[in-house]
Amino acid sequence: MPPFSLIQPTTADEAVAALRYGAPGETVVLAGGTDVLSDIEEHRIRATRLLSLRHLPWKTLLWSGTSLRIGSTLPLRTLERDVQVRHRIPGLWHAVRAVGSVTLRHQATIGGNLARSAPTSDLVPILLALDADVDLIGTRGARHLPVDRFVRASRSTALERDELIRSVEIPEARPSAFLWQRVRPANDISQVGVAVAYSPSRTTWRIAVGGVLPRPVLLPEAERLLSGPTPAAPEIRAAAQEAAHRAPFATDRRATEEYRRHLVAALLARAVSAATARPPSASGVP
Amino acid sequence: MTAPISRLVVNDRPIDLAAVPVEERLLDTLRWRLGLKGTKEGCRTGGCGACTVLVDGRSVLSCLALTHEFAGTTITTVEGLDTDPVGARVRGAFEEEGALQCGYCTPGFVMALTSLLKEQGTEASPAELAEDLGGNLCRCTGYATIVRAVRRVRGEAP
Repeated sequence: MPPFSLIQPTTADEAVAALRYGAPGETVVLAGGTDVLSDIEEHRIRATRLLSLRHLPWKTLLWSGTSLRIGSTLPLRTLERDVQVRHRIPGLWHAVRAVGSVTLRHQATIGGNLARSAPTSDLVPILLALDADVDLIGTRGARHLPVDRFVRASRSTALERDELIRSVEIPEARPSAFLWQRVRPANDISQVGVAVAYSPSRTTWRIAVGGVLPRPVLLPEAERLLSGPTPAAPEIRAAAQEAAHRAPFATDRRATEEYRRHLVAALLARAVSAATARPPSASGVP
Repeated sequence: MTAPISRLVVNDRPIDLAAVPVEERLLDTLRWRLGLKGTKEGCRTGGCGACTVLVDGRSVLSCLALTHEFAGTTITTVEGLDTDPVGARVRGAFEEEGALQCGYCTPGFVMALTSLLKEQGTEASPAELAEDLGGNLCRCTGYATIVRAVRRVRGEAP
C-alpha cells in the first residue's frame, strides 16, 4: 500500500475544514472503504491524504412521516435491518440486499456507493426511481441535488473536491421493487438491475435501470405507458418492450447488449408485478 | 482532530497501535504483527470472505479495513472463540459435521455465521442463514456439509 496520512475527524466542521487544506486531488475521502482501499492499493487512485468519515455522527436513519433521511455513513446492513425500510420501501430493501455480502454491508455505506458512482451500482437505480435527493456539505455551504443530477457518468459525480455527502433523502415511501440478473447470485455484480416505484402522491411510475452506460438512467418513455397503482398486463408488456428498446445498453465482459435487452424486459415486468403485490407480512421472506 | 484512542482489543488482549503504520490493513496486523494466522487472506478485495473477523460482534472483511480506523473497538478472530458461547457453538457444529475440506475458508465461514447468529438470534431460518453466507466462498465446493453445520447450529438435526 502506498504511504498516506489518515485524518479521522469526529465532527462535520472538522471534516469540512480538512477539505480546505492539501493540494488539489491529494485528499481522498474514505467512507466504508470497501471500494476505495483496493483502488489505492492497486494504484488506480493516488492518495497521499485519506479523510475518514467513520467517526462522524452521520450513521443516522430518520423517518419523518413518509420521508426517510439516511445518513451517508450509515452501514448498509443497518438500513437493511430496519423493519420499516423493508415494509415501506421494499425496492430499497431489495437493492441494499443486492450489494456485496452481509459482511461487506457491515462496512459499505450509501454515501460511498453514490460517490463512487459505478454504472453497475445496485443502489443508484432505486434511488432514481424514488426521486431521492443528495444532501451535500462543503466549504462553501450546503446544497441539495436530485440523484439524477448528482450522478454524471461512470465514476463521475457532481461532488466538488471541497464537498462531502452528508445524507440522502427519500421524499416518499413508495410501493417499489428492484430486481437483478447476475452470473452468480451471491456477491457478484449485476448485469442488469431494474428499479420501479409508484408514487401515490403523483400517481405516476418511475422506472430506472442499471448495467447501462455511462450510468444508471430513468426511462420516462416506459414510465408513461404504466397507469395507476396496478397497471394492466398489456401496459406492463408495452413498458417492458419500450425499456428493452430504449435503455442504452452495451456489450461488455459481463453480458452482451442483446442479452441485456432481453433481461430488462423480463425483469421490468416482474418488478412491476412485485411492486403491486400485497406487502409481505412481518415475518415474510421475499 | 485525529481520534484520540490508539488502542484496540484483540481476543481480550489490548494492542497498542503506536507502531502500526496508518496504511496497514487489519488483516495484515492480525496475521503478521500479532501472529493470528487463523484469519486467512484470499482475494484481498472483499470477494471471498476468508478474512472475516468480528468487530464489536459484527462481521467485517479485515482485508478492506485500515487498522487505525478501528481503534477503540474489540476484535475477535477465530482464535478468540473459546470465550464466546455463540462462536464456540458454531465451531462445534462445523467440527461435528466435518464441514471443511482444505479448511482455508473455514475460519471466515465460522466468523460470518457467528455474526449472523449474534445479530439475528433465532429469527432467521437455516435457509436464510445459508443465503446470508453468500459472501463466503469455498473453493473446494464443500457447501453441503457447511449447510448441514448451519442446520445443526440452529438445532435442526441435519
